[in-house]
Amino acid sequence: MDIKEIKAVLDLCKKQDVAEFELETKDFKIKLKRGNEPSGSVNYQESVSAPAPIAAAATPVAAPVPADTGAEIKSPMIGTFYRAPSPESVNYIEVGQKVDPETVVCLIEAMKVMNEIKAEVSGVITEVLVENAKPVEFDQPMFRIQPL
Amino acid sequence: MFEKVLIANRGEIAVRVIRACKELNIRTVAVYSKADASSMHVQMADQAVCIGPAPSSDSYLRIDRILSAAEITDVDAIHPGYGFLSENAHFADICESCNIRFIGPSSGAMNAMEDKALSRMLATKAGVPIPPGSEGLVEDETVAKETAKKIGYPVMIKATAGGGGRGMRVAHNDVSLIKGYHAARSEAEKAFGNSGVYIEKFIENPRHIEFQILGDGRGKIIHLGERDCSIQRRHQKLIEETPSPFFEKRPGLRKKMGKAAVKIAELAKYTNAGTVEFIVDDKGNFYFLEVNKRIQVEHPITEEVTGIDLVKYQILIAMGEQIRESQSDFLAPKKYAIECRINAEDPFGDFRPSPGKITMYYAPGGKDVRVDSHAYAGYTIPPHYDSLISKLIVTGKDRREAMDRMSRALGEYMIEGIKTTIPFQQAILQDPNFRRGVYSTNFVENLLGGARRELIEENA
Repeated sequence: MDIKEIKAVLDLCKKQDVAEFELETKDFKIKLKRGNEPSGSVNYQESVSAPAPIAAAATPVAAPVPADTGAEIKSPMIGTFYRAPSPESVNYIEVGQKVDPETVVCLIEAMKVMNEIKAEVSGVITEVLVENAKPVEFDQPMFRIQPL
Repeated sequence: MFEKVLIANRGEIAVRVIRACKELNIRTVAVYSKADASSMHVQMADQAVCIGPAPSSDSYLRIDRILSAAEITDVDAIHPGYGFLSENAHFADICESCNIRFIGPSSGAMNAMEDKALSRMLATKAGVPIPPGSEGLVEDETVAKETAKKIGYPVMIKATAGGGGRGMRVAHNDVSLIKGYHAARSEAEKAFGNSGVYIEKFIENPRHIEFQILGDGRGKIIHLGERDCSIQRRHQKLIEETPSPFFEKRPGLRKKMGKAAVKIAELAKYTNAGTVEFIVDDKGNFYFLEVNKRIQVEHPITEEVTGIDLVKYQILIAMGEQIRESQSDFLAPKKYAIECRINAEDPFGDFRPSPGKITMYYAPGGKDVRVDSHAYAGYTIPPHYDSLISKLIVTGKDRREAMDRMSRALGEYMIEGIKTTIPFQQAILQDPNFRRGVYSTNFVENLLGGARRELIEENA
């Protein structure tokens, strides 16, 4: 494999958003790792261009908040967001709390089924972005988290 | 009365349904994949819910996500558009069980024509001719060969769960039959999750003529006339027109086929909008093909000639309204309409899809010119879905005027930044055989294969 081929593979990795690539043949072995991804972010690389407003612009069900520093925990589904397992219980997590990948951060209810949502990353919660009992859509940011 | 409707679709049909809802004072909810965030239907709807990443299997086909979106927005009904979940009886069932009206036929009517093999049996029961073929699905090679021998070559192997012109193979002899049989089965399994195939006599160079039907669920089923959709490339329609030039000297045939369409719909207890497809040979023998249990892409030409808003009618019927018109209103068309499906494809590059950013966009206008499109200047066509970007529909007092108007309108249409099929459709509009109304489903292949390439290039 020459430098041109390696560059082509790297470009392909970048384009397809592959973080790690390993190839082993009879003659050689190569391992490539891209180092500039923030850990713990859910990667959807589609950059969404601002919609051209026509008459009344559509209101998204829950207004997305512009991304800041740190990473976000985004909703994997559509439903109603709850901060606690039940109305009488304490919230699953609060701002400033440390979480690990297995920590349940919230509940999303859809079709009468309660789904526990895990953090999937380690870090400290810096902001809660959705109000309790409000609807969330796919990929909507719910928490801002400072990864550890 | 519906207060809010969710449109479980995208692109131009989502825009179409939203428009009908707005005119009925119904609020609208759009669902969209991440790739469609800047799409027109999202802008037009009152509310929008993101339901997944780009792939359809992870978004527009996700019944659970669509129903969750319907739940959090508290809609009364869902309009499924065409394609996607529009003919999915399971989806229709789930909607109803969640107390959400499905705007389309009942799951019962869908199941009665659940697949093409069943539909053929229904047609036979209705006394409507079907192309000679297998009794139901063909289970193995031996049955395939026997069937082909019985009905005579050439034959067509078709996927029972197929649609949109996919899952079909033609065979002219035993060798190509066996090859095609296995290829069709595996293609069908992959595309539709159902490897069932049946075999039909392949009627060479037929015309494809379909009838729009409407049932109100209160016992009334009528047809609203025919559409000639013979101008196809690889079974994908490119140009449709109504009335069919083939009926000009055969008014009795229109009446006969219309009656047959309604009869099949009645047997299936069909409700809401649907289309009964036939193929017609050059002697005027017609055969039932299938029923499309949804609103179709080419519905606008029927709307322009009849004055009926079909999508509004779908919603009204779903709300319990009756059909007010009588069959006699639709037996003798008084106008002529033609539609060109404008796809983001390169007609000089073997119709390769051409997604990308539309840098300049100017749609034609003027008398009796209609554009159903979600495109706009600055819009980036995503690569994940079909290539249809616009439908250009013109109406005229006769066929000649409609054709001249279409040529004029196509000439005005400016779409830059991507390739479109416009030059190709312009060439078709100038073709002498097309202009004489003498064509069948092999028209496009002949045009492409023949010495007409310069005609296409002239129009680019």
